[in-house]
Amino acid sequence: MDLLINNQSYSVEADPGEPLLWVLRDNLGLTGTKYGCGLGICGSCTVHLDGIPTRSCVITLKDVEGRAITTIEGLAEIDAEGNEVLHPVQQAFIEEQVPQCSWCMSGQMMTAAAFISENPTPTEVELVDAMNNNYCRCGCYARIKVAVARAAEIAQERDA
Amino acid sequence: MTKNSKLPAGSKLERKGITRRRFLTVLGGGAAVLAVGAVLGGPTIVREARLQINKAFLTGSLPPGEMPKDPFVWFEISADNAATLYIPKVEMGQGIHTTLAQIAADELELDWKTVTVRQANTVRGFNPAILFTFGSTSVTSLYHPIREIAATMREMLRIEAASQLNKPVDSLTARNSTITTDDDSSQALTYGTVIASKQGEWVIPKETAPLKPAPEFRYIGQSVERVDLLDKVTGRAKYGFDMRAEGMVYGAVARPPRYGAILKSATAGDAAAQPGVVQVVISEGFAGIVATSRRAASAALDHLELVWEGGTTINQADIVDMLSLPKQGGTLIQREGNVDSATGTRVESTYFTPMAVHAQLEPQAALADVKVDSAVVYTSTQAPGLSSERIAKAIKMDAANVQVNAAYIGGGFGRKTGTDAAVEAAILSKAVGQPVMVGWTREEEMQQGYRRPPSANYLWATISDEGNITAIHHEMASGDVLFNPQVGGGGFLEVLLGTDPLAAYGGLIHYSLPNIRGIYHKMEIPVPTAYWRGLGSFPNTFAIESFMDELAQTIGTDPFDLRLKYKPDGDLGRRYELVLNALREASEWDTPPIEGHARGMATCYDRGTVVGLVTDVSVTDAEIQVHQAWCAVDPGLIINPNGAAAQVEGSIVMGLSSTLIEEQIIENGMATSRNFNTYPLLRLRQTPRINVIPINSGDEPVGGLGEPVIGAVPAAVANAVFALTGNRLRKLPLKITN
Repeated sequence: MDLLINNQSYSVEADPGEPLLWVLRDNLGLTGTKYGCGLGICGSCTVHLDGIPTRSCVITLKDVEGRAITTIEGLAEIDAEGNEVLHPVQQAFIEEQVPQCSWCMSGQMMTAAAFISENPTPTEVELVDAMNNNYCRCGCYARIKVAVARAAEIAQERDA
Repeated sequence: MTKNSKLPAGSKLERKGITRRRFLTVLGGGAAVLAVGAVLGGPTIVREARLQINKAFLTGSLPPGEMPKDPFVWFEISADNAATLYIPKVEMGQGIHTTLAQIAADELELDWKTVTVRQANTVRGFNPAILFTFGSTSVTSLYHPIREIAATMREMLRIEAASQLNKPVDSLTARNSTITTDDDSSQALTYGTVIASKQGEWVIPKETAPLKPAPEFRYIGQSVERVDLLDKVTGRAKYGFDMRAEGMVYGAVARPPRYGAILKSATAGDAAAQPGVVQVVISEGFAGIVATSRRAASAALDHLELVWEGGTTINQADIVDMLSLPKQGGTLIQREGNVDSATGTRVESTYFTPMAVHAQLEPQAALADVKVDSAVVYTSTQAPGLSSERIAKAIKMDAANVQVNAAYIGGGFGRKTGTDAAVEAAILSKAVGQPVMVGWTREEEMQQGYRRPPSANYLWATISDEGNITAIHHEMASGDVLFNPQVGGGGFLEVLLGTDPLAAYGGLIHYSLPNIRGIYHKMEIPVPTAYWRGLGSFPNTFAIESFMDELAQTIGTDPFDLRLKYKPDGDLGRRYELVLNALREASEWDTPPIEGHARGMATCYDRGTVVGLVTDVSVTDAEIQVHQAWCAVDPGLIINPNGAAAQVEGSIVMGLSSTLIEEQIIENGMATSRNFNTYPLLRLRQTPRINVIPINSGDEPVGGLGEPVIGAVPAAVANAVFALTGNRLRKLPLKITN
């Protein structure tokens, strides 16, 4: 089966019923997307499907064929000189020193990136609603809130 | 600047110093690289270690492992001026790689941009005992050794530079990985240049290298950015669950249906014929599958024919009964004066704390590659040494040939002292002769791991007519943390102590009172229970600090005033006062809260750190919402204030999750919750605004930060709920009924 991940095509041989999460991690070695619960509750495995944040542990291979998949490995861009340019969310998460263990953070950042792309100037209530369904056991929630707001600002500054 | 900075003779630092010239080792010296490590050994060290062992039993922190013999800290500088710091503690989000590197870079006068931090492992010259990352002890145990090694290395560079420049050593200054001379700025030499030009062997100087005085610190005390975050935000950081190897296959292991059940017999059934199965592995008490994918391995487990025998059929109600208090007997753990001689009005209360899981988001995971005479294992572990020992035993190999590499840990909280996944991966890899990855599922993690033991506390106090507390009696009953046979057991020590010291942890009453009695009842609860963030501090502080609030209410005094009145003796009392006064002011305790809210407070003294916490709470339709928290925290000198704040914030969030939501129930010998659908965690919306008030009460670190705050959380909330509703909640998680 052919998959489009981070603007690259991959050919994968796997059971069409295999959750996307394990195809990414085990078949393709894209281990930045994390397993947390397998039920779509914790949010650690969040990726983008055509830009929409999606729990990769509960969506199967056959459901993603032909769709653009973005994982944490594809969130930053590479500029003309070949340098890595962090996504505003990644930059903000470093600026605010958000992650502790960071196991949940790929999912947090993918959720946040989709959110600020959809809603470039969010209110606090909207932000909390958007980020409320991702668990962080280290308890970085207060910093996540600050950093997502900051990421929206960075994105605006870059567009200006 | 480091030049002629000497410590006054007999100063605290000098006395506490544990490395001496003869314990330092030069490794890989010569033109290419200068590397210096420290070996623990010799008379000073034995005394210190014994002191620590004794202190461990008095205060209930973990007993240390065997005496380290190998270098445990290793710093290298190469000819290109790059510095590599091998950090002997595992990074699980607490920022320890950054914090320990700051300490080293400061004393070694490194340019921070030249620093690379690497994780030490069990074979690269490090003693596994030091790698054990636990109990919020990393900074306090390594602050002095790291500084002394770094200072020695810096002095070696200055001495060598003096020789190369033909200048007196005293005229040279080390700073930013460069040696400069007082009189001629053109003569600056980078550390790399000094090392590249070195002729002959490096020699460790005879004189103990002077340590920098605190005002000259450049990195210590600064909120240096975490060294691991770029790899983490880009998804490049590798955790135990992320490890891969050529030819890797996946393992899954059969689990008992009841705690304590033994695998009486096992046959392969038609498991071997299932799709993707590489091999069925059955040995005494063990049955596992190796397959080409995780799902295939798990699915084939159902096809094994297994007979489980024995085990417990205990139910939650039985556990609650076992913990009922007061009861006869027990082990005396605290005695001041004679509580039975005290007179006054009697107040009594009983508190209950349920089982809770760690719910660290990365389950146990390991990749093992076992060859005929050696094994290499990558795993998420707080205890590389223990992993190495247990793997060696399971695959009958000398532990010296089992290399354990600690990967980044996706959440520890005590759970990553477990070594099961690593042992299982090694058994399976040995059987199939290929690298095997075992990553537990969330269901395995919640049911088959260990958990915080359930516990109860019973307290009574007498209050005189004048409103003085004349005595407190405190009884604890708890499942084990250290000695649970399902998680390793205790042996001789268990008999000697008569307690589980880690479950009793935090059970001593530190207030200055004439009569105190503490009794511990060690309960054999047949469910795997062990280390959970804060150990006994969480349940015991919940009980003690809730009870103090009840006493303040009975006496009719302010909770802050009561604690100040009975503050501990000596320096600890001074620190309590600093913390309480700062907290009272910051939280505006003495002005009324906003309409419909109330505040509650609690203190905690844990691993040398004094904590005071105030929460601001409202209740709507029986739901408790914590809106704001103020936490004053004094661990002595704080190395990285922003990192320290992160530990405080994280402890409050995890503590609130346990205070308001979490409870694991046992039915018919097994935990009922298997995943987050039946065991939810606190979310962003339920998180309060958190204000951290750091108190640097001294000139060196005296306490940890990973755990001490969590103990203060439940009582600070329960006391606020009481202030608001008059409803005294004595059972966790806190639920308002009526």
